[in-house]
Amino acid sequence: MDKLKISTANLVILVAGGVMLIASFLAFHKLAVPSFEIGSQKVGGGTKSYNAWSTGHFLIATIPALLGTLMAVHVALETYAPQVSLPDRILGFTWTQVHVILAFQATVMMVAFLIQNFSPLDRGVGLYLMLISAIALLVGAVMRMQQKPDTRPFG
Amino acid sequence: MADQQSPTPGEITIMAAGAVMFVFSFTSFAGSSNAWQRGLFPIATLLPLYGLVMGLQIALTKFASLKLPHSVLGFTWEQIHLALGVMAALMAFGWMVTDYGDKKVGTWFEILGGIALVVGAVMIQRERNTGAIG
Repeated sequence: MDKLKISTANLVILVAGGVMLIASFLAFHKLAVPSFEIGSQKVGGGTKSYNAWSTGHFLIATIPALLGTLMAVHVALETYAPQVSLPDRILGFTWTQVHVILAFQATVMMVAFLIQNFSPLDRGVGLYLMLISAIALLVGAVMRMQQKPDTRPFG
Repeated sequence: MADQQSPTPGEITIMAAGAVMFVFSFTSFAGSSNAWQRGLFPIATLLPLYGLVMGLQIALTKFASLKLPHSVLGFTWEQIHLALGVMAALMAFGWMVTDYGDKKVGTWFEILGGIALVVGAVMIQRERNTGAIG
């Protein structure tokens, strides 16, 4: 049962990263197509949606999802696959610092997408879910930092 | 007074990249819109803002003798430069790959600036012997 032991911070990151990845396949932006009538026939109408992987969105809108997935994968490996050897530091950063950096970047980008006026496209549920996930990732990363306060600079 | 010595190549790279990115953020990024206009702001504005923050931090500490705390939230300034530089390069790559129509002069300067920021940040790690790289 030891394998199932996971800290709250890591659980938040794991869940938020998973939700972020799933949300990236949901509607990021949507376009309401107006309908019109020709005689008695109704033509058009409905909604066209674009997810974070759609042309025009990939790669810039996909980056937050990739960062969240990377964080979740690291937590999963650290928790459930301790036999996998990972370096202690990446470019002088501890893993806890890496989590803070990635979560900060994902949150900043998602807030930017929220503010962006992409008219005539409307924001979709995927964008909102990715934003909430990004904030959760940042919360998880900060919680992790408080649990593991080893942020001393390299060297 | 190490802070008032002439800037190192890494610092010059970041200051120049930050300035160029800020200036070219007002030129066309997509269609006839620049990075500050509707449809692109603020997602396309993040790159020049990262460059501006990095360039200003170096310029102010180097030339205005501004005293900043040694670290912020557990990150040294060298680490902050490296983190922002890597994220700027990631966004630059993101914009390079994203197919949103013809890339204009502003886009290309933002992409090149983003790459220059990470190069400058890596050079600073070596110049200040942080031990993070190499």
